[in-house]
Amino acid sequence: MDVTKEEADGQSKVSPINIVIIDGDESFAASCSKTLEKGGYRVTAAKDGQQGLKLLDTAGPAVVLLDPKMAGMDVPEVLRRLSETQPSIVPIVITGQGTVNSAVESMKAGAFDFLSKQVKPEKLLDTVRRAVSLSALRKEAKETGKAVSELRRQPSDKYDLLLQGLDVLGEAYSLGLEKRQLLDELAYLESEAKHHAESLGQIKKKERAILDIRNDLLAVDAMLKKYDFQKSSLIQVLLDVQEHFRWLPRHVLNWIAGRLNIPLREIYIVANFYEAFSLEPRGRHTVQVCTGTACYLRGASELLIRASALLGIQPGQTDIKQSFTLETVHCLGCCALAPVVQIDTQYYHDPSRSKLEKVVKSLEKEEALA
Amino acid sequence: MTRFKTPADIAKLRKKIVSQRNSKPTWLAVCAGTGCRAYGAVILAESLEHEVDKRNVGDKIGVRRTGCHGFCQRGPVIVVEPSGACYLGTQPKNVPDIIDNVLSGKGDVEHLTYLDEQNGKRLSLLEEIPFYKYQKRIVLANNPLIDASEILDYIAVGGYAALVKALTKMTPDSVLQEIKDANLRGRGGGGFPAGRKWETTRNAHGEPKYVIVNADEGDPGAYMDRSLLEGNPHGVLEGLIIGAYAIGATEGFIYVRQEYPLARMHTVKALDQAREYGLLGKNILGSDLSFDVTIHRGAGAFVSGESSALMSAIEGHVGEPRPKYIHTSEKGIYGKPSCLNNVETWANVPHIINKGAKWFCSMGTKGSKGTKIFSLVGKVKNTGLVEVPMGISLRDIIFKIGGGVPNDKKFKAVQTGGPSGGVIPEPLLDLPVDFDELTKVGSMMGSGGMIVMDEDTCMVDAARYYTNFLAHESCGKCVPCREGTRQMLKILDNIASGWGQEGDIELLEELSEFMETASLCALGQSAPFPVRSTIKYFRDEYDQHIREKCCPAAVCSALIAYEIDQEKCVKCGACERNCPVNAINKSEDKVFTIVQEKCIKCGACFTACPKKFSAVIKVRAHSIPKQPAGAGALLKQ
Repeated sequence: MDVTKEEADGQSKVSPINIVIIDGDESFAASCSKTLEKGGYRVTAAKDGQQGLKLLDTAGPAVVLLDPKMAGMDVPEVLRRLSETQPSIVPIVITGQGTVNSAVESMKAGAFDFLSKQVKPEKLLDTVRRAVSLSALRKEAKETGKAVSELRRQPSDKYDLLLQGLDVLGEAYSLGLEKRQLLDELAYLESEAKHHAESLGQIKKKERAILDIRNDLLAVDAMLKKYDFQKSSLIQVLLDVQEHFRWLPRHVLNWIAGRLNIPLREIYIVANFYEAFSLEPRGRHTVQVCTGTACYLRGASELLIRASALLGIQPGQTDIKQSFTLETVHCLGCCALAPVVQIDTQYYHDPSRSKLEKVVKSLEKEEALA
Repeated sequence: MTRFKTPADIAKLRKKIVSQRNSKPTWLAVCAGTGCRAYGAVILAESLEHEVDKRNVGDKIGVRRTGCHGFCQRGPVIVVEPSGACYLGTQPKNVPDIIDNVLSGKGDVEHLTYLDEQNGKRLSLLEEIPFYKYQKRIVLANNPLIDASEILDYIAVGGYAALVKALTKMTPDSVLQEIKDANLRGRGGGGFPAGRKWETTRNAHGEPKYVIVNADEGDPGAYMDRSLLEGNPHGVLEGLIIGAYAIGATEGFIYVRQEYPLARMHTVKALDQAREYGLLGKNILGSDLSFDVTIHRGAGAFVSGESSALMSAIEGHVGEPRPKYIHTSEKGIYGKPSCLNNVETWANVPHIINKGAKWFCSMGTKGSKGTKIFSLVGKVKNTGLVEVPMGISLRDIIFKIGGGVPNDKKFKAVQTGGPSGGVIPEPLLDLPVDFDELTKVGSMMGSGGMIVMDEDTCMVDAARYYTNFLAHESCGKCVPCREGTRQMLKILDNIASGWGQEGDIELLEELSEFMETASLCALGQSAPFPVRSTIKYFRDEYDQHIREKCCPAAVCSALIAYEIDQEKCVKCGACERNCPVNAINKSEDKVFTIVQEKCIKCGACFTACPKKFSAVIKVRAHSIPKQPAGAGALLKQ
């Protein structure tokens, strides 16, 4: 039998799907074929069981419609054989005198659905379409199943996800959902999984941050303990914190406020008042230009401009990479070397621009190596 | 290690250590103060130790890392004991020579000794060098003799003998009387008699009583206190313990600047050692005296050096001074009687107790007794720490000890007393160093910073420098100081930028008077001193800035420009390489010129140009930018 014209227009490139009807009732088989052919399927009919079983092998149908009342054939047996050997052929049981018992039996044996012969054409088509989808999916699963089983040897989230999706799909099919919906569902699940992975990442990040903070606070507690949690030790504690963190982080100040029972406001007043404290992270290296009187008289301002132009930052600032902080100090006490700049622990007497550049470059290099 | 239980224990131990020290015939005392460290003194000491080890002559030569010897200009300094030879500017490459000469007994390594520029003679002995010859080193004397991190060294040179004497032979009253008789005046700035302060604290009601060492040496260009704590912390501590005994204090504080890590380290170590030997703690040397000391780090605020601000900082607060209707000696830390003295003041105490008030009074002038340490810095040949008897003239300090102004420049003025002091011009140089005399001429003794200025120093700029410092460091509590310094700075900025107007000087004078009268603490009251004294002695320089828009010393950058003297230029290109803004133009035939529009007047080219050519020169500014609207002083309307 041929495909109807209208369907052929739309599906010319796709070979039509085969459906086999095995039924002794010729008039029903004919009307059924008609309905299905209208739906775009190629239908082959067999009058008895033997012919029918042969057809299943030769025609390679996606769906088979079976009448269990037919002579010469043990339908539950056929159904079992089908599910074992050819799972991609989806059986639908269709009968004239349907009873609940026979329906249950056939479903148990692996039938996809159970219809009565009084079924309306729309219902028939709908059921067949679903059965065809399942068949296609089973075929697909069989093929990908091979690939997946290989990939399974190297476990990976992505393939686990895929397998899970397939399980869900199979389950959903038996619930009567369409493939398209399932694909949407799958895509949704995938995005959901991604979202959770991201959240998990964030949670882990937060966990790390909390751990860091915890370690910070433990370190601060050790400092506080040194001074016996005395209120009057605030400046000493802050000096230790400044030395340890290279600045005064807010969470640390909050912690100290609680531990020493000093209002946070008070702590900020102290931190702002004294020169040694910084409320922003300082660089890993400090360039201190001495602006003591002796240095000033011997040209500290020029030295400061040179250093500032070289580092690209103003006194008191830290560069973006947090490698250098440029500072002025009131006296380093090396007045004999004036004008003097201290870079980390090393003193330099009135270095020229190229000399400064050399020192800065070598420090950067050291850092890159480390 | 045993705790001293009786005073006799110290004497016994001293005997033992001295014989140990004497077992090595020669000691090399390497200065390891911050100044010499900057020159590489630590590496030098290490290579000396290494060389001694290598030659296996540890029984003949000992190496000692000591505190500051004072002659920072020529560091690293080594003094050979007992010969007294002094090596200057020594480098690790000289180490084999030094050891060779010591071992062979050949004498001194001549090329490392002091060269007298006037007659070309080498002076090998420390006492012969002019820098040391005119000094009288009492407080600093022990610095070269001891390793500051070793209490035994201090005990060996007679340390803690004064404490023993005070505890065994004197009552607290007689100690106090001795200090009063010596007329020891506070070395930190004010010159307030220490004995009177001690007495007030002793008689004040309230327990416990505190004694405090003020080592918050905030004056730029002064580092006497640091050198004392770095070089001889036990000397200061001994003075403090004696003070506690006389006053009846049970707790002490040492307030050290954060910027002095080495001084802090040595002080912490000294306290630990003193505790171990029972010189701090309960029943010191078996007496009734119980006393302990805590170290407190300052966090960088000039005002914290003021007594009430310092005490507030020790309590953990912002270091702001408070009005002193009641003296801190009566109500200081936590409202208890507290006696605060400067490092140098405490360091003088053991010497007075040991040798008596009479001996101390034999030095100095009528009102100022003893010696004073100055840090002689700036435009002077021999930069360093000098200890001189009170009453010596400024001229002697600067020209005899300091060697005068380098590079054949003319002396212009000397600034004493740090940012709170004033300048003293050439005609007043014969003034004796004395608390009262210096105050009379508009300066002050201060903590002992002595900054020499030559003809290349602009007085307006110097005043601006100090005022900027004070404006920045003003704690902001009282209006006269906070606003006064800011307004002064604005006016001085204007003058230095070429925007000065007639009447600016008078306005500055008016402001000065107001600040002196109305400020809360001594720092505010003395804040206008630099401006006042520069106006007093160098008014013409201010006038030139204001009327002619000219800076005679060629310092104020707005009033000068840099140019290249084509006749002197040898086209080496050093200026071009060093210019940070590419303002130096090189023409095809290699003629270098400075593009004035681009120039930021950083002076990089001036520094880079080799001294023998000096082709980059300073000239008067070609034009002075207009004053932006609203940039003037707020006071003038």
